[in-house]
Amino acid sequence: MRIRIGQGIAFGLLMMTTAALAQSKPVAGEVAEGSLKGKTLTFVSYGGIYQDGQIAALKEFVDKSGVKLLSDGPTEISKLQAQVESGNVTWDVVDTGDFPPYVYCGKLFQKLDFSKIDTSNIPEGQISECSVPAMNYGVVLMYNTEKYKDNPPKSWKDFFDVEKFPGSRALEGSGDLSGGMIEQALLAAGGSVENMTVADIDKAVEKVKSLGPDTIFWKTGADSQQLAESGEADMIAMWTGRAMTTVKNGAKYTPVWQDWLVVMDQMTIPMGVKDADAAYALINAYVGKSAQETLAKTTSYTPIHKDAKPQVDEVTAAFMTNTPDKLKLGYQQNIKFWVQNFEVANEKWNALMAGN
Amino acid sequence: MERADGGQLGPLPVAASATGSRDTGPAAAADDRWRWFRGQAFWLVAPALLLLVVCLGLPLAIVTLRSFSEPQWGWQNYVWFFGTPVNLTVLQRTFAISAWVTLVCVIAGYPYAYVMTVVGPKMRLVLILCVLVPFWVSGVVRTLAWVILLQDSGVINSVIRSLGLGPVKLIRTQTGVVIGMAQVLLPFMILPLYSVMKAIDLRLLQAARSLGASPARAFAQVYLPLSLPGVYAGAIIVFILALGFYITPALLGGPRSTMLSTLIQNQVLSLLNWGRGGAMGVVLLIATFILLALAAPLSRQPHKTGSRRQ
Repeated sequence: MRIRIGQGIAFGLLMMTTAALAQSKPVAGEVAEGSLKGKTLTFVSYGGIYQDGQIAALKEFVDKSGVKLLSDGPTEISKLQAQVESGNVTWDVVDTGDFPPYVYCGKLFQKLDFSKIDTSNIPEGQISECSVPAMNYGVVLMYNTEKYKDNPPKSWKDFFDVEKFPGSRALEGSGDLSGGMIEQALLAAGGSVENMTVADIDKAVEKVKSLGPDTIFWKTGADSQQLAESGEADMIAMWTGRAMTTVKNGAKYTPVWQDWLVVMDQMTIPMGVKDADAAYALINAYVGKSAQETLAKTTSYTPIHKDAKPQVDEVTAAFMTNTPDKLKLGYQQNIKFWVQNFEVANEKWNALMAGN
Repeated sequence: MERADGGQLGPLPVAASATGSRDTGPAAAADDRWRWFRGQAFWLVAPALLLLVVCLGLPLAIVTLRSFSEPQWGWQNYVWFFGTPVNLTVLQRTFAISAWVTLVCVIAGYPYAYVMTVVGPKMRLVLILCVLVPFWVSGVVRTLAWVILLQDSGVINSVIRSLGLGPVKLIRTQTGVVIGMAQVLLPFMILPLYSVMKAIDLRLLQAARSLGASPARAFAQVYLPLSLPGVYAGAIIVFILALGFYITPALLGGPRSTMLSTLIQNQVLSLLNWGRGGAMGVVLLIATFILLALAAPLSRQPHKTGSRRQ
């Protein structure tokens, strides 16, 4: 009953504001002067430099709209679920990993009203029914240049070929599965990613197992960086941000951009937030050009505004993933498949992670 | 003997038995007051009890309930748990790692606690500080320090290599996890051991020696049995704490040292499957209870013989 009333109110609010906003189409990065005075928004993300950068990117929005912006985190879907189930949602805008807005669309996350967000400058294929991207990054193959002098690996296929390219491997084992990685393993095993089936996941998992018992599954970004800087693993699948930092720190590793895995964080609005319009205003400001440039400058993640040109140093620029040549080489996972098979895929991946 | 043992429990029973023998005169009023006070003494535990019920009992009840109620009522989550081989492997591994950690803690902690009882007060303070300082350092920081020590290019391996021996695989193995966990849990073994050992009258050993026992025999027949309650108390604390470890195995271990808490975390945080996560927690809890019930008679036996010899 409570939910139904909540939905009713939300719907009513939606109708009212749609009418009010019908005349003015939103422009990314813009917010009306003093429009959110006296209101409070809680923005939730993953903490650290990343969230600091996001808050910095939102400074203009805060100053202009007069909103009071609170910061919370880290994002945990289970906590959000508890809030939604108890009808007491205190998180207004939530930054999540790539899958949750697809898996819990309409359950934990609102279906977005795209008349309230200017999405015209967001790269293609990154918007879903319940989310817009928060930033882009990638997973690249980093290899030890001293180990593979004249015969460096050129693709994920080489990564999965321990006979032609002997040496230790490290890949992400931080919890959630990486669909793109499993697809690359499947391709390396001679499979096809067209019309993937659940049996294909087994095939891919077998391929990962074939890397041998010394394969390292790193748990955190810092962990992966440590592996490169100490030379523990000869080939490492790494997040671009961490890869960049290791290069800056002098590790003798270099990236392979062929089929780098496209990854993104998502901006979402939970079900049952008290003021959805304020949340929309935040997201609309966040996807603006100057906000995205600030974000890129402070975090080194790739902006999601097509025209954003952040002032960054050479190494950071080399790891930005939105240049035309990199976009050409990027590999987009089959999100639909992984969302449909979320549970079974996780079970198989977790069994691998648990040494079975 | 029995009386003296009872007396050690606290002042209240002593007072009661002392007044119980006199039932006339002005002492009767005091006796009444005592009885009243003893009746009310229960309330002294109320704050702690309340905290336990609200912060432990209630959440535990909810978790147990959800393990039966989600997604539908029934045993499905338990059927799933015992029908999935990886769960059983990890459950068994969780107990095995905890047992190893406990063993390492006993072996490392016993002599340490003994030394603490025989050195001078200044040295004792140093030894206690050595045990407590790690307590004040964040678990994550300590674990990361172990990463640096244990990794293939780490401190330990470079020492081994300089001795002309091959590198030893320490990080991402069960050995590495056991080493890291034992270091974190060692204080929980040393402190109960120390508190028991310092109460042992060392003159008993002298008596044994003067009666012709060899040092080894005096230790095995006098000191060891008297110190066993400390060993059991420490071992139980260490073992139970080890069962729930999460950060250390995640950072120092590889897939082959994943413990149950990691699987629970996966179910609840990644898959929002509170039912299965709850079932795993309940299974771990019950398995622990069963194990403790099996170990309980073991820990009671030496205590009795120990006090009889006293």
